[in-house]
Amino acid sequence: MRGRLRKAAWAALAIVVAVLLTQSTWWETNQTVFAQAVVSGLLIGGVYSLVAMGLSLVFGVLDIINFAHGALMTIGIYASYLLFDNYGIDPYVSLLITIPLLFVVGVGIQRFAINAVMDAPVHNQLLLTLGIAIVIENLALVLFTGTPRSIELSYARNEFDLGLFSLDFPIRLFGAVITLPKLIAFAVAVLLAAVLYVLIHRTQLGTAIRAAAQEPEGAEMVGIDVRRIYMITFGIGAACVGAAGALVMPFLFVSPTAGATFNIIAFIVVVLGGMGSIPGALVGGLVIGLTQEMTQLFVSGSSKLMGVFVVFLAVLLVRPQGLFGKVQR
Amino acid sequence: MRKITIYLSLLLSLALIATACVSDAEEETTTTTTTTTAAPTDTTAPAATDTTEGTTEPAGPVLIGSIHPLTGGLAGAGSRMDNGAKMAVEEINAAGGIASLGGAPLELLSADSTGAAEVGQSEAERLIGEGVSAIIGTYQSAVTSNVAAIAERDGVPLVIDVAVDDSILDQGYTNVFRIQPNATSMGAGGAQFLSELAGDEIQTVAYLHDDTGFGVSVADAFEAAAAEYGIEVTTRIPYPPFEVTDLTTEMSQAAAASPDVIVVTGYYNDGLLAARAAADLEVDVKAVIGIAQGAYHTPQFVADFGADAELFFNSNYHFNSSDPKVQDVLESFEAAYGEPMDTEAMLSYQAIYVIADALERAGSADPADVRAALAETNLSDHFMAYPGPITFDETGENVNAQPVLMQVIDGAVVQVLPLDLREAEPVFPGTSWSSN
Repeated sequence: MRGRLRKAAWAALAIVVAVLLTQSTWWETNQTVFAQAVVSGLLIGGVYSLVAMGLSLVFGVLDIINFAHGALMTIGIYASYLLFDNYGIDPYVSLLITIPLLFVVGVGIQRFAINAVMDAPVHNQLLLTLGIAIVIENLALVLFTGTPRSIELSYARNEFDLGLFSLDFPIRLFGAVITLPKLIAFAVAVLLAAVLYVLIHRTQLGTAIRAAAQEPEGAEMVGIDVRRIYMITFGIGAACVGAAGALVMPFLFVSPTAGATFNIIAFIVVVLGGMGSIPGALVGGLVIGLTQEMTQLFVSGSSKLMGVFVVFLAVLLVRPQGLFGKVQR
Repeated sequence: MRKITIYLSLLLSLALIATACVSDAEEETTTTTTTTTAAPTDTTAPAATDTTEGTTEPAGPVLIGSIHPLTGGLAGAGSRMDNGAKMAVEEINAAGGIASLGGAPLELLSADSTGAAEVGQSEAERLIGEGVSAIIGTYQSAVTSNVAAIAERDGVPLVIDVAVDDSILDQGYTNVFRIQPNATSMGAGGAQFLSELAGDEIQTVAYLHDDTGFGVSVADAFEAAAAEYGIEVTTRIPYPPFEVTDLTTEMSQAAAASPDVIVVTGYYNDGLLAARAAADLEVDVKAVIGIAQGAYHTPQFVADFGADAELFFNSNYHFNSSDPKVQDVLESFEAAYGEPMDTEAMLSYQAIYVIADALERAGSADPADVRAALAETNLSDHFMAYPGPITFDETGENVNAQPVLMQVIDGAVVQVLPLDLREAEPVFPGTSWSSN
């Protein structure tokens, strides 16, 4: 009863703020910019969600903080770029290649590197993943040089006839522009989040993964090969971030450090959403995306990430287990 | 629960360090590899020792240090610059080395600043310890400040190829020389070009700039100079160049002020994001103009951005593309390194020739003698689009350094101002989205 009252109060407050906002002169002059900030925040937030989901899964199941996550994204970015550049394969079609590729890379990293430090102290694990990140980034530097590259999708500004209605990209929504590559990235990211959720919560493999996460020894006793589950989980985590890499490639740039830009954000999203929670990562990504753009809008002259860190600190203080996290142990 | 607390505090501290300086944080980790990456390049020049005449006694090579970001977010430009310097050294050695030193060859010692000031500084100390006669570098103002302080302390001349911040030379240094125009000159030059380009058609400017020393110093200089031409900067939007993955909101903020033009200052990656945002939003302005912008005058921008790159302006340092000698250099660079040469690489190439000229006149490889000769430099046979010879004033600034206004027209970057360097008529007002 009290909870319901509180919810109603929050909703009322939100409505009042929204009404006041739309009546103010500020709104009239800044409507377009505001709409753009919301749209940009949500679109990039979807990508943050996907990156964070992989990280969250690996943390939740393996209890490993993977600093190589951004570097794995770089592999996804380069794979997608090279397939496009050399063979003309559309970056969205090549998801069918990049996702399995990153899965294999992830399984390999778990099998040959991280397995050895599963029981080692935290700082050893951190150093190992950091080392993997450095190796990947510098390998990219040696193989492809540091010259940033980028592509333009030939159909990004087309009109698409969808029968009932047609979409003319870039779409205008309250003056805000939505480009095709960003919309696809958002939609696919949310779709993959749903797939991952179903995989973890509705399949036998997912049950095994959750069992290995909660009680590795117990899982072992009932016949689950925990080492194999760990490899698969790390592979899935890598596949998520690889997909994210391929999805951002058409609107970002391709360089050895492109993925690392997302690393810090992904960590914040994971903590915000709750370690190991997939819905948490989804919501957390969107919240962080929005926060970042709102900071840009209202706190001029500061880094966008400042607002993100304020939210991060607030969550740590008020709800250290994260929005969707369960209080642990 | 305790483990979680440890994780969180670790994460938080890491994250906070990273926001303070994302590039620094991630680059520090590669410090350990620096010495190993720098070491193999020590062997670039010795092959040329054979070219010294048999009559003179074999002279030892003259060591020159080259500090650029060879890894990290700026590795692309940094390694091209290092290649530019390498090419100049090879050419000079192939032509017989330094005649006044008995045909002594040059030897380039390449070092990786990783984009971090403290790494650049320790690399400068290392190079000076190895006995370099001069140092070139470093592409970033922050790194250059630290390297300049070391060079001054140890009395080894530093020739700045690229670094724009005025304050580097405001310290009364006697060992530091700058070939490129400084921030004041970039900002003032940009403001003058805007006025020459459009008369009073440009009255208001929204300014999107990098929030490091580079972007802020140029934007400040522009704002001050523009006021004299009756151009007002109505909005300034700083952004962190190494953190951004999207500049659409920033660009829409700039456009919301309905300025006559939008001006952008920054590096390549962020410049590309800004250009893409402008094209996506189809911002309703008379032009998008880079000032000291790292992307809009490069062949790569045109290649990557295709038809959308059309009509972008950039006021920046530039090699003199109307000079046939420069065209030869561009061709040999592309043949040797497989990618087009940009002005940054040309400035590094130029810096080696400036030092070679000083060595020739000094007749000595002693840093103090090289410094004295550099101060007397009067090099009219250079590669830059400057109105006169390269010659340094008492603070070390190149008195003839000036930016050039360029525009992408029909898929090529052409010089449009000043008039004596004009290769084509500018298109103004114009943007690729308004002309379609």
